[in-house]
Amino acid sequence: MTQMTWDEVAEGQEIALVEEMTTQRLVIWAAAVADYYQIHYDEAYANENSLPGVIVHGALKGMLVGRLLDEFVGDGGRIVRWGVAYRGMDRARLPITVWGKVTRKYEENGRALLDLDVGVKQEDGTTETTPGTATVELPRK
Amino acid sequence: MPELEDLTPEMKAAIGREGSPVIHEVTAPGIRTFARALGYTNAVYYDAAAARAKGHRDLLAPPGFFGMPIYTPNARSDSDAAAFAPEFNRTLNGGNEVEPLAEVCAGDVLEARTTVTDISLRASRLGQMMVVVQETAFRRQGTDEVVARTRKTSLRY
Repeated sequence: MTQMTWDEVAEGQEIALVEEMTTQRLVIWAAAVADYYQIHYDEAYANENSLPGVIVHGALKGMLVGRLLDEFVGDGGRIVRWGVAYRGMDRARLPITVWGKVTRKYEENGRALLDLDVGVKQEDGTTETTPGTATVELPRK
Repeated sequence: MPELEDLTPEMKAAIGREGSPVIHEVTAPGIRTFARALGYTNAVYYDAAAARAKGHRDLLAPPGFFGMPIYTPNARSDSDAAAFAPEFNRTLNGGNEVEPLAEVCAGDVLEARTTVTDISLRASRLGQMMVVVQETAFRRQGTDEVVARTRKTSLRY
Protein backbone atom coordinates (compact mmCIF):
# COMPACT_ATOMS: atom_id res chain seq x y z
CA MET A 1 0.00 0.00 0.00
CA THR A 2 1.35 3.43 -0.89
CA GLN A 3 2.08 5.60 2.12
CA MET A 4 -0.13 8.67 2.33
CA THR A 5 1.73 11.85 3.23
CA TRP A 6 0.39 14.83 5.15
CA ASP A 7 1.14 17.09 2.18
CA GLU A 8 -1.24 15.12 -0.05
CA VAL A 9 -4.24 15.43 2.29
CA ALA A 10 -6.70 18.31 2.07
CA GLU A 11 -9.25 19.51 4.59
CA GLY A 12 -12.63 18.08 3.62
CA GLN A 13 -11.14 14.79 2.37
CA GLU A 14 -13.33 11.80 3.15
CA ILE A 15 -12.50 8.16 3.88
CA ALA A 16 -14.87 5.21 4.43
CA LEU A 17 -15.30 1.46 4.86
CA VAL A 18 -18.52 -0.49 4.27
CA GLU A 19 -18.73 -3.45 6.64
CA GLU A 20 -21.13 -6.38 6.91
CA MET A 21 -22.30 -6.94 10.48
CA THR A 22 -23.12 -10.65 10.36
CA THR A 23 -23.92 -12.48 13.59
CA GLN A 24 -20.84 -14.63 12.93
CA ARG A 25 -18.73 -11.50 13.01
CA LEU A 26 -20.29 -10.43 16.30
CA VAL A 27 -19.39 -13.81 17.78
CA ILE A 28 -15.77 -13.47 16.62
CA TRP A 29 -15.71 -10.02 18.25
CA ALA A 30 -17.22 -11.40 21.46
CA ALA A 31 -14.40 -13.94 21.62
CA ALA A 32 -11.75 -11.33 20.77
CA VAL A 33 -12.63 -9.09 23.71
CA ALA A 34 -14.29 -11.61 26.08
CA ASP A 35 -17.59 -9.72 25.91
CA TYR A 36 -20.18 -12.47 26.20
CA TYR A 37 -23.19 -10.24 26.85
CA GLN A 38 -26.17 -12.11 25.35
CA ILE A 39 -27.76 -9.05 23.69
CA HIS A 40 -25.11 -9.49 20.98
CA TYR A 41 -26.03 -13.06 19.96
CA ASP A 42 -29.28 -14.18 21.66
CA GLU A 43 -32.38 -12.75 19.95
CA ALA A 44 -34.77 -13.75 22.77
CA TYR A 45 -32.48 -12.32 25.46
CA ALA A 46 -32.19 -9.04 23.53
CA ASN A 47 -35.97 -8.77 23.24
CA GLU A 48 -36.40 -9.42 26.98
CA ASN A 49 -34.06 -6.48 27.57
CA SER A 50 -36.20 -3.99 25.63
CA LEU A 51 -34.03 -4.20 22.51
CA PRO A 52 -35.32 -4.67 18.96
CA GLY A 53 -33.10 -7.71 18.43
CA VAL A 54 -29.42 -8.63 18.46
CA ILE A 55 -27.37 -5.43 18.28
CA VAL A 56 -23.80 -4.70 17.21
CA HIS A 57 -21.32 -4.22 20.07
CA GLY A 58 -20.55 -0.53 20.57
CA ALA A 59 -16.85 -1.25 20.92
CA LEU A 60 -16.82 -3.17 17.63
CA LYS A 61 -17.99 0.03 15.90
CA GLY A 62 -15.51 2.14 17.85
CA MET A 63 -12.62 -0.15 16.96
CA LEU A 64 -13.72 -0.26 13.30
CA VAL A 65 -13.20 3.51 13.36
CA GLY A 66 -9.72 2.65 14.68
CA ARG A 67 -9.16 0.36 11.68
CA LEU A 68 -10.33 3.06 9.27
CA LEU A 69 -7.78 5.46 10.80
CA ASP A 70 -5.03 2.83 10.97
CA GLU A 71 -5.40 2.00 7.28
CA PHE A 72 -5.54 5.70 6.43
CA VAL A 73 -2.28 6.59 8.26
CA GLY A 74 -0.46 3.43 7.06
CA ASP A 75 2.76 2.06 8.50
CA GLY A 76 4.43 5.47 8.43
CA GLY A 77 1.77 7.43 10.32
CA ARG A 78 0.15 7.02 13.69
CA ILE A 79 -3.12 7.59 15.49
CA VAL A 80 -2.77 10.22 18.23
CA ARG A 81 -6.25 9.61 19.65
CA TRP A 82 -9.80 8.80 18.68
CA GLY A 83 -13.07 8.67 20.52
CA VAL A 84 -16.69 7.93 19.71
CA ALA A 85 -20.04 7.98 21.50
CA TYR A 86 -22.61 5.24 20.96
CA ARG A 87 -25.73 7.30 20.41
CA GLY A 88 -27.77 4.79 18.49
CA MET A 89 -27.96 1.05 18.14
CA ASP A 90 -27.07 -0.80 14.98
CA ARG A 91 -28.94 -4.04 14.46
CA ALA A 92 -27.02 -7.13 13.44
CA ARG A 93 -27.16 -8.37 9.84
CA LEU A 94 -27.25 -4.88 8.30
CA PRO A 95 -24.19 -3.27 6.69
CA ILE A 96 -22.71 -0.11 8.20
CA THR A 97 -20.50 2.60 6.75
CA VAL A 98 -17.54 3.62 8.89
CA TRP A 99 -16.48 7.09 7.81
CA GLY A 100 -14.05 9.91 8.47
CA LYS A 101 -13.66 13.46 7.20
CA VAL A 102 -10.60 15.67 7.62
CA THR A 103 -11.66 18.85 9.42
CA ARG A 104 -8.29 20.48 10.16
CA LYS A 105 -4.77 20.17 8.77
CA TYR A 106 -2.05 21.75 10.94
CA GLU A 107 1.44 21.50 12.37
CA GLU A 108 2.15 21.47 16.07
CA ASN A 109 5.53 21.07 17.78
CA GLY A 110 7.00 19.90 14.49
CA ARG A 111 4.32 17.24 14.02
CA ALA A 112 2.13 17.10 10.90
CA LEU A 113 -1.38 16.49 12.21
CA LEU A 114 -4.94 16.07 10.98
CA ASP A 115 -8.18 16.30 12.95
CA LEU A 116 -11.12 14.30 11.66
CA ASP A 117 -14.79 13.87 12.36
CA VAL A 118 -15.59 10.17 12.38
CA GLY A 119 -18.67 8.01 12.73
CA VAL A 120 -20.79 5.08 11.69
CA LYS A 121 -23.80 5.41 9.43
CA GLN A 122 -26.55 2.87 8.93
CA GLU A 123 -27.51 1.43 5.57
CA ASP A 124 -29.82 4.37 4.81
CA GLY A 125 -26.69 6.51 4.63
CA THR A 126 -28.02 9.21 6.93
CA THR A 127 -28.64 7.78 10.43
CA GLU A 128 -25.48 8.46 12.44
CA THR A 129 -25.14 6.14 15.43
CA THR A 130 -21.53 6.61 16.52
CA PRO A 131 -20.27 10.20 16.19
CA GLY A 132 -16.74 11.05 17.25
CA THR A 133 -13.46 12.80 16.55
CA ALA A 134 -9.86 11.78 15.94
CA THR A 135 -6.37 13.17 15.56
CA VAL A 136 -3.71 11.45 13.45
CA GLU A 137 -0.10 12.19 12.51
CA LEU A 138 1.20 11.58 9.00
CA PRO A 139 4.72 11.68 7.59
CA ARG A 140 5.74 14.66 5.45
CA LYS A 141 6.56 14.27 1.79
CA MET B 1 -36.16 -0.30 37.75
CA PRO B 2 -34.20 2.24 39.89
CA GLU B 3 -35.65 5.73 40.43
CA LEU B 4 -33.05 7.56 42.47
CA GLU B 5 -33.28 11.25 43.40
CA ASP B 6 -29.52 11.56 43.70
CA LEU B 7 -26.37 9.46 43.66
CA THR B 8 -26.16 7.02 46.58
CA PRO B 9 -23.28 7.39 49.10
CA GLU B 10 -21.69 4.31 47.51
CA MET B 11 -21.77 5.95 44.07
CA LYS B 12 -20.34 9.23 45.41
CA ALA B 13 -17.57 7.32 47.19
CA ALA B 14 -16.68 5.49 43.98
CA ILE B 15 -15.87 8.71 42.08
CA GLY B 16 -12.12 9.24 41.99
CA ARG B 17 -11.35 5.79 43.31
CA GLU B 18 -8.75 3.74 41.49
CA GLY B 19 -9.58 0.05 41.27
CA SER B 20 -7.16 -2.77 41.89
CA PRO B 21 -4.83 -3.33 38.95
CA VAL B 22 -5.95 -5.88 36.38
CA ILE B 23 -3.35 -7.83 34.42
CA HIS B 24 -3.92 -8.17 30.68
CA GLU B 25 -2.07 -10.75 28.60
CA VAL B 26 -1.43 -9.83 24.97
CA THR B 27 -1.24 -13.11 23.07
CA ALA B 28 -0.76 -13.89 19.39
CA PRO B 29 -4.12 -15.73 19.09
CA GLY B 30 -5.79 -12.80 20.87
CA ILE B 31 -4.30 -10.30 18.42
CA ARG B 32 -5.33 -12.39 15.40
CA THR B 33 -8.90 -12.83 16.64
CA PHE B 34 -9.26 -9.10 17.29
CA ALA B 35 -7.80 -8.25 13.87
CA ARG B 36 -10.02 -10.82 12.14
CA ALA B 37 -13.20 -9.53 13.79
CA LEU B 38 -12.36 -6.05 12.53
CA GLY B 39 -11.48 -7.19 9.01
CA TYR B 40 -7.85 -6.10 9.05
CA THR B 41 -5.75 -7.51 6.20
CA ASN B 42 -2.35 -6.03 7.15
CA ALA B 43 0.05 -8.95 7.73
CA VAL B 44 1.67 -7.24 10.75
CA TYR B 45 -1.42 -8.30 12.76
CA TYR B 46 -1.29 -11.97 11.68
CA ASP B 47 2.34 -12.92 10.94
CA ALA B 48 5.14 -12.30 13.45
CA ALA B 49 7.82 -12.45 10.73
CA ALA B 50 5.98 -9.82 8.67
CA ALA B 51 5.70 -7.64 11.77
CA ARG B 52 9.43 -7.97 12.55
CA ALA B 53 10.29 -7.17 8.92
CA LYS B 54 8.46 -3.85 9.45
CA GLY B 55 10.51 -3.11 12.59
CA HIS B 56 8.08 -4.28 15.27
CA ARG B 57 9.26 -6.39 18.23
CA ASP B 58 6.76 -9.18 17.50
CA LEU B 59 3.24 -9.66 16.14
CA LEU B 60 1.73 -6.16 16.44
CA ALA B 61 -1.55 -5.46 18.25
CA PRO B 62 -4.03 -3.33 16.26
CA PRO B 63 -4.88 0.06 17.77
CA GLY B 64 -7.24 -0.36 20.70
CA PHE B 65 -6.19 -3.92 21.59
CA PHE B 66 -4.66 -4.29 25.04
CA GLY B 67 -4.95 -8.03 25.46
CA MET B 68 -7.35 -9.99 27.56
CA PRO B 69 -7.77 -9.55 31.31
CA ILE B 70 -6.89 -12.67 33.23
CA TYR B 71 -10.20 -14.31 34.06
CA THR B 72 -10.73 -15.35 37.65
CA PRO B 73 -14.02 -17.03 38.62
CA ASN B 74 -16.14 -14.94 41.01
CA ALA B 75 -13.70 -12.04 41.00
CA ARG B 76 -15.16 -8.56 40.67
CA SER B 77 -13.15 -5.41 40.17
CA ASP B 78 -13.85 -2.69 42.73
CA SER B 79 -13.98 -0.16 39.89
CA ASP B 80 -16.80 -2.17 38.29
CA ALA B 81 -20.19 -0.45 38.49
CA ALA B 82 -21.74 -3.70 39.73
CA ALA B 83 -19.71 -3.27 42.91
CA PHE B 84 -21.05 0.16 43.86
CA ALA B 85 -24.47 0.27 42.17
CA PRO B 86 -25.96 -3.24 41.98
CA GLU B 87 -29.44 -1.73 41.46
CA PHE B 88 -28.41 -0.94 37.87
CA ASN B 89 -27.75 -4.45 36.69
CA ARG B 90 -27.83 -4.06 32.91
CA THR B 91 -25.33 -2.18 30.84
CA LEU B 92 -24.81 -0.56 27.46
CA ASN B 93 -21.55 0.84 26.18
CA GLY B 94 -21.87 4.63 25.87
CA GLY B 95 -18.56 5.45 24.27
CA ASN B 96 -14.85 4.66 23.93
CA GLU B 97 -11.82 6.86 23.56
CA VAL B 98 -8.29 5.58 22.92
CA GLU B 99 -4.97 7.36 23.12
CA PRO B 100 -2.24 4.97 21.90
CA LEU B 101 1.20 5.96 23.28
CA ALA B 102 3.50 3.03 22.48
CA GLU B 103 3.30 -0.12 20.44
CA VAL B 104 1.82 -3.26 21.97
CA CYS B 105 2.99 -6.66 20.75
CA ALA B 106 2.35 -10.35 21.37
CA GLY B 107 3.95 -11.43 24.62
CA ASP B 108 3.40 -8.09 26.37
CA VAL B 109 1.85 -8.15 29.82
CA LEU B 110 -0.01 -4.97 30.71
CA GLU B 111 -1.25 -3.68 34.02
CA ALA B 112 -4.54 -1.79 33.69
CA ARG B 113 -5.44 0.73 36.39
CA THR B 114 -8.96 2.09 36.12
CA THR B 115 -10.37 5.13 37.89
CA VAL B 116 -14.04 6.11 37.97
CA THR B 117 -13.93 9.78 36.97
CA ASP B 118 -17.63 10.61 36.86
CA ILE B 119 -21.05 9.21 37.72
CA SER B 120 -24.36 10.86 36.83
CA LEU B 121 -28.02 9.94 36.54
CA ARG B 122 -30.23 10.64 33.55
CA ALA B 123 -33.59 9.69 32.14
CA SER B 124 -33.74 7.52 29.03
CA ARG B 125 -36.34 5.57 27.11
CA LEU B 126 -35.08 2.45 28.93
CA GLY B 127 -35.78 4.15 32.28
CA GLN B 128 -33.34 5.84 34.63
CA MET B 129 -29.72 5.40 33.62
CA MET B 130 -26.52 5.75 35.57
CA VAL B 131 -23.72 7.10 33.38
CA VAL B 132 -20.27 5.97 34.55
CA VAL B 133 -17.04 7.32 33.06
CA GLN B 134 -13.89 5.31 33.68
CA GLU B 135 -10.34 6.10 32.65
CA THR B 136 -7.73 3.38 32.34
CA ALA B 137 -3.97 3.62 32.04
CA PHE B 138 -2.23 0.56 30.60
CA ARG B 139 1.37 0.15 31.75
CA ARG B 140 3.91 -2.48 30.84
CA GLN B 141 3.93 -4.68 33.90
CA GLY B 142 6.72 -3.81 36.28
CA THR B 143 7.47 -0.46 34.60
CA ASP B 144 6.08 3.07 34.61
CA GLU B 145 5.74 3.09 30.82
CA VAL B 146 2.15 3.94 29.89
CA VAL B 147 1.39 2.33 26.51
CA ALA B 148 -2.14 3.72 26.23
CA ARG B 149 -4.87 5.61 28.01
CA THR B 150 -8.52 4.86 27.41
CA ARG B 151 -11.81 6.38 28.52
CA LYS B 152 -15.04 4.40 28.59
CA THR B 153 -18.58 5.58 29.23
CA SER B 154 -20.96 2.91 30.53
CA LEU B 155 -24.73 3.29 30.62
CA ARG B 156 -26.21 1.22 33.44
CA TYR B 157 -29.95 0.74 33.66
